[in-house]
Amino acid sequence: MVGNDIVDIAQAKKESNWQRPRFLDKLFTEKEQQIIHSSENSFLIVWRLWSMKEAAYKLYTQCHPSRFYNPKKFECIIDGNSGIVKFQNFKCYVVTKTTSDYIVSESSLKLSKLKSKVVKLDSECLTNQSEFLKRKLITSASKRFYGSEVQFNIKKNNHGVPAMEFNNRKVNISLTHHGNYGAYAIA
Amino acid sequence: MTHQELIVKLKAIVSPYVQDEAAFANLNEDTDFVKDLKINSANLVDIILDIEDEFDIRLENEDMEKMLDVKSAMEIVNTKLNS
Repeated sequence: MVGNDIVDIAQAKKESNWQRPRFLDKLFTEKEQQIIHSSENSFLIVWRLWSMKEAAYKLYTQCHPSRFYNPKKFECIIDGNSGIVKFQNFKCYVVTKTTSDYIVSESSLKLSKLKSKVVKLDSECLTNQSEFLKRKLITSASKRFYGSEVQFNIKKNNHGVPAMEFNNRKVNISLTHHGNYGAYAIA
Repeated sequence: MTHQELIVKLKAIVSPYVQDEAAFANLNEDTDFVKDLKINSANLVDIILDIEDEFDIRLENEDMEKMLDVKSAMEIVNTKLNS
């Protein structure tokens, strides 16, 4: 199982204002807010923590099919480029990669290396972006599982959790896009 | 506030964050913020803050948890306004 989330740094600057009143308090725990305020680059920490929470939520909903919005309850602990996210009795490992263009986080139940492949998306249209990303994922899956691309299907369950079907097998996947960047991961 | 007045106010609040204009044109109680309007999950918190400002209410974590569609948003606002 795998969950991922990408933040396009330019897009985050454009479409969100983390400094607006009550914003941090709605999304982050006291401890996380302390980390944000004591950091030299609060902006990057805000979006790193956010991507960790989102990646962890996606993994949680694979394990426990559900849908809700409660980022604050996903508590992050950061250690270098990796971290741990806890939600109730659930715990996962999250690795994050930050470049000058994006922040990508990936969650898993066991500590593992980042599997997510990042794709630059040029089309502004959201439907095209998500189709483009799915094609990239299927091309990559067909090589890994030695099948032809038509044998692979991506389906979402009624909670919006995606999975890939192939020869009566179900493989967990995770897709994310934001602004001009997307990423896919195959469990 | 009537049902219709509330929907009109909510529609104005979500408008800046919408990424699917066709779904937005057909906005109704069953419209889902993420699945239908394709609103970025990072912007859901902005909608919550905008709702707080517009109606002069405060939403708790438990309220936010269900805020994924127009119907739940309306229910939560109504509950807060009547309490």
